[in-house]
Amino acid sequence: MLRNSGSSLRLIASLQTLIPSSSHQLLQRSPVSGTAKGKAKLKAGQTLKRSTLGRKKAAGGEPATSRGGGRARNEAIERLNRMVDSCLNAPAPVRHLTAKERAREAEREKLGLISKERQREIDQEKARAKAGGAAPEEEPVIMGTPGLDLITLGLVDKESIPKYELTVEDGRRLAKEYSRVLMRKHRARQAAETTLLRLKKEAIAALPDHLREAALVPDLTPFPANRYMATLTPPIEGYIDKVREAAKKHTVKEKLR
Amino acid sequence: MEGLRRLCIETVRKKGGRDRGEKQREMQRSAALLLLRTLRSRGFSSSSSDKIVAAVLFERLPVVIPKIDPVVYAFQEFSFRWRQQYRRRYPDEVLGKGDARGKGEYQIDYVPAPRITEADKTNDRRSLQRALDRRLYLLLNGSTYGAPDKKPVWHFPEKIYENEETLRLCAESALRSVLGGLQHTYFVGNAPMAHMTVEPKEHSSDTPSFERFFFKSQVIGTSKLHIEKCRDYVWVTKDELMEYFPEQADFFNKMIIS
Repeated sequence: MLRNSGSSLRLIASLQTLIPSSSHQLLQRSPVSGTAKGKAKLKAGQTLKRSTLGRKKAAGGEPATSRGGGRARNEAIERLNRMVDSCLNAPAPVRHLTAKERAREAEREKLGLISKERQREIDQEKARAKAGGAAPEEEPVIMGTPGLDLITLGLVDKESIPKYELTVEDGRRLAKEYSRVLMRKHRARQAAETTLLRLKKEAIAALPDHLREAALVPDLTPFPANRYMATLTPPIEGYIDKVREAAKKHTVKEKLR
Repeated sequence: MEGLRRLCIETVRKKGGRDRGEKQREMQRSAALLLLRTLRSRGFSSSSSDKIVAAVLFERLPVVIPKIDPVVYAFQEFSFRWRQQYRRRYPDEVLGKGDARGKGEYQIDYVPAPRITEADKTNDRRSLQRALDRRLYLLLNGSTYGAPDKKPVWHFPEKIYENEETLRLCAESALRSVLGGLQHTYFVGNAPMAHMTVEPKEHSSDTPSFERFFFKSQVIGTSKLHIEKCRDYVWVTKDELMEYFPEQADFFNKMIIS
């Protein structure tokens, strides 16, 4: 609980640097221990305290500055507060409940008490059942940026991906197959590298003496810095020149102080 | 090694009334005897009469990451979706703040180049743009040392060893004669990576039975190379390489990983 209030206050503190305000110690620290322990006692369900400095200033600054300026500032502050609220109360599609919490909720339902989130879940299910009982959304989830994900680039065949549901058993089965495939590849690679090393040793042993000494000298020169590292897509011809030109144009535009 | 140590211990034990010089001579003699013994027990004849050929396995490393197994991708997608279930959905106006660019930044949108190039479609084996997610090896067609003359054969760039300092220099000169210069190559280490003895077949006009040592080197910093001094050249992947050398297939299978 204490952790939550600390992080929310920090979020507001960082956002409020957008609005000029005097520095204010948001979390009071005890003079003896230097910690905030025992200072802010939060009760469950209590609305979190928020620093009202910004609002006060807006209200105070309104008669001082011109009318139009003050109103815009107020709106900006309101918008910010709304954004912060929506972030803090953003819902997740599936609630994460521990076993204890689940048992508690089941017992409360027997008594007839339903928490807000549980109510929301029930409403969501009703809405889903009403909207499209026979319309399952089949669009495959895109991982990563839209144009550069693995399927569109051709790294994976869409059809050969095995079908699965989002359940625990399916997850376990997929995990087993994943581990099996990767371990097989790893072991094959290790075996191949051992063979390479063995061939190298045999070759060195098969050399005549003076050549063998020269071959055994370790070559410590590092590999060249421009050795190409495999990337997701191949390099585009002439792209680097475009980027350099754009960089040059930008530096010319900026004023030199 | 063990024998040498035992001999040293023996001579040290027999310290007694022996002269220092005598002891040293003893040690030297025993050491020399041991070396000769080990050489003879290794079983190969003195290699001065055999010919040595340095060949170069010139490879172009993959340009693009390899294809991903669908099972692996399925698990990654499952774990991603499972985690997304429990993540908060933030409103779009908050997420949109990430796209705002600072004053000095610029972003050029680009269409990513396709991973399957034209050379793939036309199966042009002379181009380096072919199988971008695999390694390509250089093969030359022409007359080589081991083959009967007047018959062009597919072979790696090679050169007979003639009293240079090291075998790696010999291999470098072999590659230099093919490429014209070594700016775009990198030789991996001073030692060869594999060797094979080439026995002569029925009719042999040249000296029989030479040893071919392979050196590994990689293409650096270029996507076009001009190959000269041969009738023909190809850049091939491992599977195609097996077609060019049907008899030595398992040797190359061991020598080249992928």
